[in-house]
Amino acid sequence: MTDGLDERLRRIRGDSPEKRHNARTISALTSNPGCNRRAIMDAAGIDKPTLAQHIGFPLPFGQSQFAIVRGNIFEAQVKADGCAELITLLREHLKLSLPEVSYEDLNEVGGNDDNRLRHRDTRTRLCRQEEPGTLFDHPMLTLTVAGRDVFLEPDLICFQIKGKYHIVEIKSFAVIDGQADGSKVAAAAIQSAVYVIALRNLLASRSIPADAVSDDVILVTPKDFSNRPVATFVDVRKQLTVLRRQLSRLTSIDALLSLVPERLSLDVARPAAAVVEDLRSIEARYMPECLNTCELARFCRHECRGTTRAMGRDVAEELGSVETVDTALQLARGTLPPAPEQVEATRMLRLAWSMRQESLGSAA
Amino acid sequence: MVCGVDLSIEELERRMDDLRDRMRQAGADGDQALVRELSAQLRTEQRAWERALLKPPAPPEQRRRAAKRQAGLPERAKDLAGSQEGAASLVPLREQVHHALTLLTVPAAPRLITAVHTAFFGATIHSSRFTSLTRDEKRSFESSPYARPYYLCPALTADRLAPVRGLLSISTWPIVERLVGPLSPRVHFLTAAMRVAEAVDRTEQPRPEARRLLMRFAANIPGGADAGTPQGVVAAARAELVIHEDADRETREAAVDRTGTLTDVQRLFGVRLDVIEAEEDAG
Repeated sequence: MTDGLDERLRRIRGDSPEKRHNARTISALTSNPGCNRRAIMDAAGIDKPTLAQHIGFPLPFGQSQFAIVRGNIFEAQVKADGCAELITLLREHLKLSLPEVSYEDLNEVGGNDDNRLRHRDTRTRLCRQEEPGTLFDHPMLTLTVAGRDVFLEPDLICFQIKGKYHIVEIKSFAVIDGQADGSKVAAAAIQSAVYVIALRNLLASRSIPADAVSDDVILVTPKDFSNRPVATFVDVRKQLTVLRRQLSRLTSIDALLSLVPERLSLDVARPAAAVVEDLRSIEARYMPECLNTCELARFCRHECRGTTRAMGRDVAEELGSVETVDTALQLARGTLPPAPEQVEATRMLRLAWSMRQESLGSAA
Repeated sequence: MVCGVDLSIEELERRMDDLRDRMRQAGADGDQALVRELSAQLRTEQRAWERALLKPPAPPEQRRRAAKRQAGLPERAKDLAGSQEGAASLVPLREQVHHALTLLTVPAAPRLITAVHTAFFGATIHSSRFTSLTRDEKRSFESSPYARPYYLCPALTADRLAPVRGLLSISTWPIVERLVGPLSPRVHFLTAAMRVAEAVDRTEQPRPEARRLLMRFAANIPGGADAGTPQGVVAAARAELVIHEDADRETREAAVDRTGTLTDVQRLFGVRLDVIEAEEDAG
C-alpha cells in the first residue's frame, strides 16, 4: 500500500479510529459487490454506525443483545470441558478416532492477546509437522482485503488425522426437523468460506497445498428446540468462487478512488450537510438486502426513494430501462409514450394495470 | 447482640490477620517459642470466628441496620456478611470453590465449579463473582505471601507456563497437576466425570442436579450414555482415560522442570508474555 493511498484513505476517514474488516463485513461485500460507496468506506475503515448517526440516519437497533448472548452461551456450551460436546459430534460425523482429542486454545499467547503475536502462534501450531493437533480454538488468520491485512477469527478449526483441516463454525440459529433458515445458512457458509480462503493462504505460506483445507465446513447449530448441538456439512465451493472474484476486484481500491473527488472526506467532525454532499458523490447501489448488512442502508434507501431499484432486484430487472416509479406508473396508465427501449416493460406494465383495474374496479 | 455478628467477624479477622503478621515476623526472626504461642492464640481466634459465623442470621430489621453499617466495610467483610443469605451459603466463595475443586481433583472452569457445588453442596454460586476471584487471590498473595492455607490460582499452560483463561486450581496441588497440555482438557473432563460419578455413588440420595450433571458427563463419553449406573460411567471414562493419560502426563512432567526457575508468584499465578517490540509480520 502506497503512502499516498494511505493518506487519502486517512483523509476520507478523518480523525476517528480505523475500523477493520471482519468475516461479517467481507461476506457482506459479496451480497452487493457493485456498491462503490460501501467499498470505499470499508477500505477507509469508516465507522459506519457513527457516520449514519451523524447524517441523521441512526440505526434504530443494532444486532440484538439477546441474539449475541444466546450465540455466546451456545458457543460456550459446545466448547465446555475441552469441547466435550463437539468431540462427541465429530466422532459421530467425521469418524474422529478416540485418541484424537487434543485441544489448543489460541485465544492468547502466554496471557497476551496481541493479534500479530496470535497470528504467528497460529501459523506455528497449524503448520507443525510432528504431533499435529486436533482442535484449535479461535485461531488468528489474516486475509488481504483491498490491499490491507485483516485479522479473522473462526470459532474453531478441527484437524483430521488424514491431514485435512475443517473449519467449524458454531451458530446459534436452530435447525428444526433438519431444516434451517436459508438466509442464515447462506450467511454462515459465506463467512466460513472467508475462513477457508484465509486458512489456505496461511498454509500456502508454508508450501502446504490448498486441498489440505476441506471445501466442506462443519456447521454446529442447536437441534430443534433444544440446546443439543447438531453438526451439518456445508459445501462452500460456490461461495469460495464468488469470494475469490470479489477479493480480486477489491485488490486495488485505486481505481474506485479515481472516480470520486480528490478532496472527499467523510469525517464525522465535519458538518452533516457537507458529509452528505460528499457521500452523494460516491456511487451507491442500494438494494433492500442492504438493510441487513450495511449500517448506512437507510441513508441510501432515502436517497433512491421513488426509483424502481429501491424495490429490489426482481422489480429492477423486470423494469430494466424504467428508472423511476413515477415513469412506471405513467407508462402503465398510458399517459407517457414509451421510449423504444421501454416498449417491452410498458407492455407488461399495461397488462398489470388492466388486471388491477379488472379486479379492483372503481376502487383502484 | 445478634447484629454484632458482622462486626465481631470483622474484628476477629483483623486480629487473626494481625496474629499471622506477627507469626511471620517471629518465624523470620527464628523465635520458635513466640511462633507457638501466637499459633495457639490464632487457633482460639479461629474457633471464635467460626462460632460467630455460624450464629443464626439477624432478623430483617437488624439486618437492614447491619447493611447500612456495612456500606463502609472492606470487600472481604461484606462478602462474609453477604454470605449469610440462606444456610447453605454461609461459606465464603473461595471455600465453596475449594470444596468443588477438591471433589473434582482437576483444574476446572467456573461453569463446572458452579454446577458441582450446586449438585453436591446445595448452594448456588453466582458466576459473576468469579471475575475478581483470582485477582483478589493474587493481590492477597503478593501483599502477604503464604498467609492463607491455600490460594485459588489459574492452571498453567505446559508450553509457556502462562495462566490458562478461566481454569481454576488450588495452590496446594502438586505443580504437575496444575499444568495443562493439549490432551489435558479431555483428561480433566474424564477425571471429573469419574469423580462426579463416584460422588453420586457415595451419596445415599443424590440431588436431581447431581444426577443431571452426571448425565451430562455420561452423554459425552463413549459408552457412558448406555452405562445406566455411576459405576458404569466410571468404567466408561476410565476406558477412554487410559488412551490419553500417559501421553498427557509425559507432556506435563516435561514442563515441571521449567517451573523451577519461576518466582513464587509466577509459580502460582503464571507468567505473562509481553511483546517487547511489535514486529511486522502478517504473512
